[in-house]
Amino acid sequence: MGAGKQMRNKIKVFRAMHDLTQEHLAQVIGVNRQTILAIEKGKYVPSLDLAFRIARYFGVSIEEIFMYGDEEQAGLVQ
Amino acid sequence: MKKNTFYLIVGCTAIALVGLFWYSDVVRMPLLIEVAFIVAVAAIYLVRRRVTDLKEDERDVKITEQAVLRTMQVFWVVFCAFSIGAVMQLLRTPTFPRGFPPGPPPILPELLSPRLIGFVQLGLLCLMIFLYVGFRIYYAGIYGGWETDEE
Repeated sequence: MGAGKQMRNKIKVFRAMHDLTQEHLAQVIGVNRQTILAIEKGKYVPSLDLAFRIARYFGVSIEEIFMYGDEEQAGLVQ
Repeated sequence: MKKNTFYLIVGCTAIALVGLFWYSDVVRMPLLIEVAFIVAVAAIYLVRRRVTDLKEDERDVKITEQAVLRTMQVFWVVFCAFSIGAVMQLLRTPTFPRGFPPGPPPILPELLSPRLIGFVQLGLLCLMIFLYVGFRIYYAGIYGGWETDEE
């Protein structure tokens, strides 16, 4: 679980939709701001637990935020 | 307890340990600093649990894990290499004197004096500290260390 090149996410988009700063999201989720930044940049792949917490906070499923590989281009994620 | 208070306590403990190290050397009692070191580390761990604003999330844990793992991977190789050298000393058993009349038993040269072992252990300790700090910086960089971004 390192700097996974295949894992992408839309946290930044969801943050913008909810008008949230990284600091605020980090506080709510219970992590450091650097962790949110690292996840957004794809440098750190979060654990399932953290991914669920992020998804639940935004009220969506994990698949709507996190994408694996080329799922987005292949149209696997709607 | 605040984070800064914790760091202050750690600093004071370190200074106290240096003082105890000096004292145990003066009174020639190594056990004193050994026990004090264990007690100090245990106390720091206990105090650390009371810090309220020191947030350690899974990414921090991951960085620490990786740094410790890599440090230990290097350390055990270096330590084993040194230990193998020390075992050689055990294998150097005295041989029977040859010739007639038999001379005095040969005096075996000391391969590793206790003083040298102390120096080597000091070197290993420093190596571990430098390796750990280096690996921490490296993995913090890999996992998105000090980047700054937006809001």
